[in-house]
Amino acid sequence: METPKKPNSRGIFDWFDPRGRNVGGWGFIINRLSAIGLTVYLYLHLYMLGKLAQGPEAFDAFIETAKTPLIMFGEMLVIIAGLYHGFNGLRIALNSFGIAVPAQRQLLYGVVGITLIGTVVFGVRMLTAH
Amino acid sequence: MQNTLSQPKAGESYLLWLVKIVSGVLIFAVLIIHFLVNHLLAPNGLLSHAEVVEYYRNYPIVPVMEGFFLLFVIAHSLIGTRSIILDLRPSAGLLKVLDILFIALGLFATGYGIWLLFAVINFGL
Repeated sequence: METPKKPNSRGIFDWFDPRGRNVGGWGFIINRLSAIGLTVYLYLHLYMLGKLAQGPEAFDAFIETAKTPLIMFGEMLVIIAGLYHGFNGLRIALNSFGIAVPAQRQLLYGVVGITLIGTVVFGVRMLTAH
Repeated sequence: MQNTLSQPKAGESYLLWLVKIVSGVLIFAVLIIHFLVNHLLAPNGLLSHAEVVEYYRNYPIVPVMEGFFLLFVIAHSLIGTRSIILDLRPSAGLLKVLDILFIALGLFATGYGIWLLFAVINFGL
């Protein structure tokens, strides 16, 4: 995880304090929020995949439910969070081992760009496939 | 830009930090394949039960890959959650309780996921 610029005086409430926050700070906040969202999703996903063991009726009925607009919207949020957290995580890993440290800001803009492009590609595919 | 390099924080060992970083990179590689197969290449957008079973049986590397993915993602999520909780400065006693809960949850989720993989592979046999 990245280190926030300011000393952490109010726990998670500091995450939402825009004062004095720069691009890297916002990158850190979004990384945290996407991490929490993906963690919740992971355990829900594991639970729902249990329907695979129950047989085709149970699983395929669940897949039909997954094609409803509300669930598809949730899936899009997961894809956005996954793309951002994944690519930003790669950026952090590279920087942590001393690679491309001077280009942190440019890499973060690249992460946001890839997330936006990936979101459009997956979104179009999801909407046209269902 | 501020220094945003990741590094172990107070209460987090170097080993845990390293596992978090390395598992994150490994997850990324497998996640790309998972996204492509389940959301981009699946004929109807999502795989049906029969397609999942067929896919696992025809490509034995897939359940092996999914097993490792499960292991990495559970480790990464639990160490990451612990790292977030460290920001809230919990007491040493609470952190110890949380550590035990995280280990128990990790073991349970890993066991459940591996059982599920075998249940899918052996479904109907």
